[in-house]
Amino acid sequence: MIPSAAALPVHLTNVVKRYGRRTVLDGVSLDVLPGITGLVGPNGAGKSTLVRAMLGLVRLAAGTVRVFGLDPQREPRAVRQSIGVVPEDECSVPGLSGVEMVRYAAQLAGLPGIEALRRAHEVLDWCDAGQERYRPVETLSVGVRQKVAFAAAIVHDPQLVILDEPTNGLDPLERRAMLGRLTTLAREHGKTILISTHVLPDVQAICERVIVLAGGRVRLSGSIRELTLPPAPEDRLEGIGPLDDMLMSLAGRGITARRVAPAPEAAPVSPAQRGAILFDASSAGSVPAVWEAARATGVVVLSLERAQRALEDVFLEAIAQADVPAHAAIGSSPGDDDATA
Amino acid sequence: MPLHDVGYRPWRGKRRGYGHAVGVIAGTGIRLAWTSRWLRRAVFFAWSPALLFAASFFAFEQAVDQGQLGTMQEQARAGRNLDGVGVLGAVLARSLGAPPPDGRPLDANSTRHMVWARLLLAFMRAPQAVLLAVVVGLVAPTLISRDLRAKAWLVYFTRPVGKLEYILGKMAVLGVLVAAITMLPALALWALGVLVSPSVWVAVATWDLPLKIILASLTLAVPTVLMALAYSSLTAESRIASFAWFATWAACWIAHTALTTADLVAAAEVTRLSREAAAQESFFADEAFGEFASVPPVRPRSAPRGFRWLSRAAGLDSEIDRWAWLSPYHALGVVQAWIFGIETRWRAVLPPLVSLLTVTAVSILVLWRRVDAPARA
Repeated sequence: MIPSAAALPVHLTNVVKRYGRRTVLDGVSLDVLPGITGLVGPNGAGKSTLVRAMLGLVRLAAGTVRVFGLDPQREPRAVRQSIGVVPEDECSVPGLSGVEMVRYAAQLAGLPGIEALRRAHEVLDWCDAGQERYRPVETLSVGVRQKVAFAAAIVHDPQLVILDEPTNGLDPLERRAMLGRLTTLAREHGKTILISTHVLPDVQAICERVIVLAGGRVRLSGSIRELTLPPAPEDRLEGIGPLDDMLMSLAGRGITARRVAPAPEAAPVSPAQRGAILFDASSAGSVPAVWEAARATGVVVLSLERAQRALEDVFLEAIAQADVPAHAAIGSSPGDDDATA
Repeated sequence: MPLHDVGYRPWRGKRRGYGHAVGVIAGTGIRLAWTSRWLRRAVFFAWSPALLFAASFFAFEQAVDQGQLGTMQEQARAGRNLDGVGVLGAVLARSLGAPPPDGRPLDANSTRHMVWARLLLAFMRAPQAVLLAVVVGLVAPTLISRDLRAKAWLVYFTRPVGKLEYILGKMAVLGVLVAAITMLPALALWALGVLVSPSVWVAVATWDLPLKIILASLTLAVPTVLMALAYSSLTAESRIASFAWFATWAACWIAHTALTTADLVAAAEVTRLSREAAAQESFFADEAFGEFASVPPVRPRSAPRGFRWLSRAAGLDSEIDRWAWLSPYHALGVVQAWIFGIETRWRAVLPPLVSLLTVTAVSILVLWRRVDAPARA
């Protein structure tokens, strides 16, 4: 059930923001619902400006922003009390150690001194910061610094956590752990998470909804599950064995099917043995026919599920409407968002 | 993996008010600044002039206790310098030199008040104001420029911290240091004076001096701290802010000295011309009347050697410093003298006061615009 506008974590209506003659946000209207939402867009799309508008840091030319029903322009402190932000830019107070930095963030959010220190250690433990927390922040590796920034953002237990490139600089294990923490916060603790990122697989892995911003406008917004559904219903079979024989068998049964690349990490089997087939699922008898074909050709079925398009394809289609060159969105490395966005 | 990892837990404690951030920013700022060895040395050194002034307080109270005020007054009237009691000599020579208006014998209490006020003014104006410039110059330039450089403004302005709390927190860092080198030693001097005086009732007779010390310290702190922070907010390079700070003090001091010297030269020229005119007149008078008509010039008593700077700082110069508004050091001195009740001429106080208020207002405007400028960019 979608909550009312006043109770929504974030509710924007016709937001316009200009820097001089340049319009960065052009009539942006969107809602961020409880759960995990991805905010994606090419460089200069206005993502960072949008986040700053939610924090009440920029003055808008038009439109309204409400965060948990509060206006960030009028009540910035109350709004920021309920928000935790992990900025894309590395930011720290020089001279403070990791744990001091998190404690400082807690104290600035109103936690009393001793309690802030206890809470800082607790959150850093959860983020697996280890003994590195006692070193000055400027001497930490990028990954640990990212953990400290994340701990500083959630130490005061905010209801809304906004992360700009949260997996930037993390190795694959740490990246997976970070995404796991975000999922835990959202599903077990009811936090609203807004992730601004270029890494679309991350968005597809953990987000429930996505907002595509390009050229200062919302190009696409909605549930990822719905947005990535193919135009015609298709099912996807992952299996091991003679999949080409199975394709011929399906053709003989009048079912349109094609071979596609298997999903990475789908099973502990080498990619050479694995394969995937997409087949038309519009008719009721297609699934039984597929099972019969698999049995007849000796294919071991690993999974059979409703097929979905890659978010990247959806994203490219969406920004194509905004006349934004595709390479600006996909070819760039994570974290090189420009200053205007 | 920690032994007692409790996972993520919600926090349901009571939060402090938004003003709490001022104390947090100030506390952390002071702790970080105090890690500088040079700052620790400067603050320690800043207390050393207090020893000199403590000796003067002690000497004065000894003179009062031994009934030597009258003798000192006679010496002062005779134009003798009182260097034997240090800074006090300069102060006493002027304070005691003038005859009492109603011819009554010297009143120890009123003399004490005047002498203490001048001593405290000299202490705050001469050594401490210079040390303040050094200490603020060491700390202030890094306070905001380092935040801009390290993008630490994001740490503050993504949390419930407003511009006001941020600026007040940074001001408090410097305010504490300024208080440590001006207000606290001055209050300690006053307390020492009470302790070495013949009676503790002296504290009642001089009750207003601690308040004046606090007010004078605030006068010293507010414009200087705001100006230093404004410089710091204008650049991400603390070296540039530091250079600008010291250059302002030095350039304004030099400009003040140059203009004051030019005035003195002009005045001396006028005096020379008038003397020549007078000599010409007396020549004609002598020719006319055949007798010695000129009057020998009266030499004014000069300030004791070695303490001229301090005696000037104690408000012993009767001339109005018409260029004081130009230099922060001199403007602060005149306003402090006004607070201590030593400078009472409004036309002497007004220009420096307006100058300091202007510096304060401009600094506030600059700070208000600059501290969150990167967030708006």
